[in-house]
Amino acid sequence: MLNEEKIRLMTEIAMFEKKAQKDVFPINRYFKGDYISIHLIRSFAVYTLTCMICLALWILYRSEELLNTMEIRIFTAYAKNITVYYAAGLFFYLAVTWLVYFRRYTAASKNMKIYQAKLRRLEKKYEASASRESEGEQRR
Amino acid sequence: MMGLLVFKENIKRLYAKCSLYLIPAVKFCLGFVTFYLINENIGFMAKLKNPVIAVVLGLVASFVPCGVTAFFAGCLMIAHVAQVSLEVALILLVFILVVMMLYYGFRPGDGYLLLLTPILFFVNIPYLVPLLVGLSGSLVSIVPVSCGVCVYYMMMYLKQNAGVLAGSTMSEMAARFVQIVKNVFGNELMWVMVAAFAAAILVVFLIKNLSVDYAWSIAIVAGVITQLAVIFIGDFNFNLPISAGSMVTGIVLSVILALIYQFFMFAVDYSRTEYLQYEDDEYYYYVKAVPKLAVSAPDVKVRRINSRKAVKH
Repeated sequence: MLNEEKIRLMTEIAMFEKKAQKDVFPINRYFKGDYISIHLIRSFAVYTLTCMICLALWILYRSEELLNTMEIRIFTAYAKNITVYYAAGLFFYLAVTWLVYFRRYTAASKNMKIYQAKLRRLEKKYEASASRESEGEQRR
Repeated sequence: MMGLLVFKENIKRLYAKCSLYLIPAVKFCLGFVTFYLINENIGFMAKLKNPVIAVVLGLVASFVPCGVTAFFAGCLMIAHVAQVSLEVALILLVFILVVMMLYYGFRPGDGYLLLLTPILFFVNIPYLVPLLVGLSGSLVSIVPVSCGVCVYYMMMYLKQNAGVLAGSTMSEMAARFVQIVKNVFGNELMWVMVAAFAAAILVVFLIKNLSVDYAWSIAIVAGVITQLAVIFIGDFNFNLPISAGSMVTGIVLSVILALIYQFFMFAVDYSRTEYLQYEDDEYYYYVKAVPKLAVSAPDVKVRRINSRKAVKH
């Protein structure tokens, strides 16, 4: 006979597994610190690359001005300004990255706990039905 | 009203039944319209302007995520732009690269907004974007919407100055580059629209989450007023080239479409609102329960009753 509650539970678990394949399971392979660190390193690399591209564009934009004023003092001032802007932007971007991935990991862990609880419930239902069947056989 | 609700239920049933085919069809339409509009507005490369290309790319778009479609659209745009001006193509390329690397690195899943914003600008209902995003998106979506606005104005700049840009020589490249950067990023209208859209998204998002009756309708009206206010302030300060007629038409159409969207997404009956109050060991709860407006779609079955053939005497 069909066990309606068990079917509902199995459907819920299957639906969760389908959704979680992309968002939850890959996150759950890491410890929280490792997961956030990986993304911080990735963000650092991406941000630095982006800044280099923007810097190249800025040099192209200011090329005439830069070529006309070939003074070490001015170049040093430019370098100082660029470093400050880069550092400030990097700090902000890494803070955003930390916040996003911290929240994402917390949400994934919470969902994983719910998933495991559902799996345990299903396991108990299987055990209960198995024990009922064995009792029935013993009576016969 | 009842007829509309039944219509909505029928649409929901149809979607549930045919979503496997409907989703690719909608994605094809979105992709095709995007590529077609790009070809129509900045189609400087004759080989890519062929409508067959738009159809083929639309077909590809129906099977890939919206982010990939946005990437294809970006490539198509850059190819057309490079035909006229390498400098604008370079600026556009860097702009798209920066947005993709910094924002889409987080996998937010709203790549379609980068496409939808310029598309709605082309069909003269851009004011709809902040209303829809504020009602159903998150505040972070301000980033792709703002980038979409910038992409549209870059395309417009190129369209208006294609003749001048195409006629320049390579020796003037550096000077031209400076001129283009100044013109594109010094476009006050673009920044005013970015500010208007960002402010409207914020206002709509905040109001629709309030616990007041008709919050979504109030949010739509407030969003429109915010956009108008920011545009008027911008116009007052920078004397912007905005046509009042097309703006009013666009706003009216946007409000109507936003109200239709609200009907499909958030139809509730405030007259049957119930207020509950209860407590547990730690808290008192004041709950407001608003019932959804729903009807069951009539299940029409036609039973044929064959009348007896009349016996002729």
